Amino acid sequence: MELLEVKGLRKQYPGFLLKDVSFSLEPGYIMGFIGRNGAGKTTTMKSMLGLIAADAGSVKIGGMDFFANQRECKQNIGFVMGEFNCYLGYKLKTITKVTKRFYDDWNEEAYRGCLSRFKLDENKRVKELSAGMRVKYALALALSHNAQLLILDEPTSGLDPISRDDLLDVFRGIVEDGTRSILFSTHIISDLEKCADLITYIKNGELYASEELETFRSKYLLVSGGEAQLEALRGSLLGVKNNAFGFTGLIETAKAAELPSDIRTAPADLESIMIYIEQEEKAV
Amino acid sequence: MKNLIYKEFKLCMQPLVWIFFAFVLMLLIPNYIYLVPCFFVGNAIFQTMQVGAVNNDVLFSNLLPVSKRDTVKAKYLFVICVELIMTALYVGMIFVNHKLIGSPNMAGIDACPALIGGCFLIHAVFNAIFLPVFYKSGFKAGRAFVFSAIAVFAVMFVFEGIFIAAGAAADKSALFAAIESTIDCWPKTGRALSAQLIFTGAFAVLYAVVTWLSYLRSASIFEKSDI
Repeated sequence: MELLEVKGLRKQYPGFLLKDVSFSLEPGYIMGFIGRNGAGKTTTMKSMLGLIAADAGSVKIGGMDFFANQRECKQNIGFVMGEFNCYLGYKLKTITKVTKRFYDDWNEEAYRGCLSRFKLDENKRVKELSAGMRVKYALALALSHNAQLLILDEPTSGLDPISRDDLLDVFRGIVEDGTRSILFSTHIISDLEKCADLITYIKNGELYASEELETFRSKYLLVSGGEAQLEALRGSLLGVKNNAFGFTGLIETAKAAELPSDIRTAPADLESIMIYIEQEEKAV
Repeated sequence: MKNLIYKEFKLCMQPLVWIFFAFVLMLLIPNYIYLVPCFFVGNAIFQTMQVGAVNNDVLFSNLLPVSKRDTVKAKYLFVICVELIMTALYVGMIFVNHKLIGSPNMAGIDACPALIGGCFLIHAVFNAIFLPVFYKSGFKAGRAFVFSAIAVFAVMFVFEGIFIAAGAAADKSALFAAIESTIDCWPKTGRALSAQLIFTGAFAVLYAVVTWLSYLRSASIFEKSDI
């Protein structure tokens, strides 16, 4: 059974439409949620959690309708919405003392482990923490009530490379037993390359892809060549960048057989795929 | 729900609330508008909501394992607690006023049991406007407070005006005479006490109904709103 099932999520704003977004996540996986700024990632996540009132669509957590059973479903979810920016004048221990009362399955040992791992001082006030430490505190709260599903919006932003790497290890450890999953959005694509199993890509409010990371990557190739070869390929390229030596572009792997033999190809990384796909219009 | 109430008192309530409770001592000022301290309770609630908005209280609360409607209910229960604490303080101060001052109030209703009815009226007006506007305006506590303060002062002006007019009228109508002898005085007879308790009870019922309807409206607004 899917741990998370999102179906036909829709939200209309003046000038923006989140259009019938659907995807699902089984236990034991990390799903990266990517897209440009304003593509609809946060709107999707907030709509899933009922923070934004969706116009249509359904969300199921472990088979249970989220909107009809918010209390029960949220017991099973850990959230991080960027850095922790609440109750700035309060000490962490005061906020934790309040927060843990809400969770039936609060794991004090896990919480203490997070404090130690993230070097968080409970006697500090939120306003005394750096942006990175605030993210870590939000993560400590999210990781301490044995949630099966973690929904993390930009959990690695503001963290130094060592902390990010450490956190990605934590993520891998969480899903290791095959019962828990993580959905996390980030603009640091290299983090996803390191730990994501699946990718959900949202573009201009629409779902562009939701599949295994490897499958997604294997659908595209980077191609490069001289200026003279560009004209012949223009219709096939998903995105193109000119440089001093000619061009580099992205092409669907299915069209690779049609490429002239003197065109150089290379496997595409996730960041390049995203950059070229977002440039699609320029290539046409 | 008890955890949300705990959160309201532990993380949201501002120390200023205690200071505003002390404004009940204004009942010891002779010839004063004794409903004014009730307005200060509204101010204390406003300060709490204002700081809560800065502290992202709405987002934090709604990430907890509760429903959106629960968070609204908790906010109302917090407001009701604060208002009822102030009302209880009023009850005490009315007796102190009677012992220490004991003379009729020329600036409005006397410090008598019927004053508690006025408190319920002021709190009802505040509750009818403040929280629904707060939720509708995207958590703008300042706007909600301005609207509710205007309404509170308008109602206070009319309410106190009636008692000032009843006391000052040279040629009293039957209504004014009844008000002065049964409501706007320290009850010396069982009939006057009964009248004042009925008066207060009616406004207590009004307070309960208005606050309940206000909660239903706020919850409905908030469920459709975006955080």
